Amino acid sequence: MVKQLVLAALLVSGLFSQDAYERHCVECHNELPTSLQSMFKRYLLVYGGEKNVKAGLKHYLKYPLREISVMSDLFIDNYGIKKKTTLSDKQIDKALDIYWEKFKVIDKLK
Amino acid sequence: MLSDQRAMLTKYAYIQTKRLKVLHHFFDERTEYPRDPRFTSAIYDMENTKIFSLLEDENIRFHEEIYISHNHIHLVKTLDEFYLGTKYLIIEVKDDGIWRGEIWKNIIGYGLIFFLFFMIFGLYLAKLFLKPMRDSILLLDRFIKDTTHELNTPLSAILANIEMMDTDVMVEKNKTKLSRINIAAKTVSVLYKDLTYLTLDQEKKNHDEVIEIKELIYDRAEYFSSLAQSKHLECNLDLEESTITIDRRKFTRVIDNLISNAIKYNKRHGTVGIELKQGMLVIWDTGIGLNEENIPFMFDRYMRFNNAEGGFGVGLSIVKKIVDEYHISIEAESKEGEGTRMVLRW
Repeated sequence: MVKQLVLAALLVSGLFSQDAYERHCVECHNELPTSLQSMFKRYLLVYGGEKNVKAGLKHYLKYPLREISVMSDLFIDNYGIKKKTTLSDKQIDKALDIYWEKFKVIDKLK
Repeated sequence: MLSDQRAMLTKYAYIQTKRLKVLHHFFDERTEYPRDPRFTSAIYDMENTKIFSLLEDENIRFHEEIYISHNHIHLVKTLDEFYLGTKYLIIEVKDDGIWRGEIWKNIIGYGLIFFLFFMIFGLYLAKLFLKPMRDSILLLDRFIKDTTHELNTPLSAILANIEMMDTDVMVEKNKTKLSRINIAAKTVSVLYKDLTYLTLDQEKKNHDEVIEIKELIYDRAEYFSSLAQSKHLECNLDLEESTITIDRRKFTRVIDNLISNAIKYNKRHGTVGIELKQGMLVIWDTGIGLNEENIPFMFDRYMRFNNAEGGFGVGLSIVKKIVDEYHISIEAESKEGEGTRMVLRW
């Protein structure tokens, strides 16, 4: 019994130790062949600045469409369009902030 | 020139864009920003946030394509694809100023060539257009010079013989005829003196002396009296004592021409007036007068506004030349049909 309780506690604490990005994005994207960084670079190439990238991403998460996807046709043909997000705006914003900070180019070039 | 610099900077921008494309592809395995010894560069996103910069002057003018600041030329290139999120790629090179020197050299060089060309062309055209006018003036001058030499002797002979004639024994009819000859001879004599002055005398040295103007005017009025009488003119003399230091020959030409004009262009039974005050001489008439538009041109050589009377149109130009030489001001007031008033002040 004690063993089960400890295991459950570890699972819950592990789950809550993850940030919004890891919780809501990484899990599903792990199953895809294209990394989140590659996708970030695609968004960066199309949308440019921080605000624009975040706005573009948010819109796509809320209203996913083949026409507005930055991914290649081959990728979409194989993996399809994602489902509409169930996250709140606040949760999306939080996840996107982390996503941006993780892969942004600013301050990384030497 | 700046256009040459622009071409060079555009080429650099193209090279740097290619490098950014590669870096974008390999980011973040590679994070070293591409550098080039020929130029420095910077990248900014569409919100004008700096992504990376090697520039010396980071005050970017995003809305100018090319500009110079702090001795550096900057080219702002807008990218169509935002490699690494780059919307603006700025290329910077040191401005050595050589192109500016080149521009000035070209402006001055070509400017001088064009200026000289148009100057020579203009002179050639002016000469071409003025040639007929110059030729006719030269012809007239030569004609006057040649004929005046031949006029002196016969004219002197006529005038001397008229003076010597005994009019007491003459019948009235002949007296009138003689008077007419006298007038005609004097008119020609004035003209002769003007022409000789113009062609020969004006080059002579001045012999300035103090002249009693009143005496001179009486003398000249006497000389022209027969001419005035022929037109039944009334002479109105109001002369005060006055002197002037001038060459007698030249001042006589001035007086003669002004009195002769006042008589010549007067109406029959008109009046010629001469007023003399200290520092001022006025000769007026009640003649045909001049149109106001013609007054500024009345002192021009060969300029004549009335062909009814003889002459070459040189009288007033001689007057003007002499008064200018002695800093005497001359003022002409004239009204068509009412008369003319010439005022000399010294």
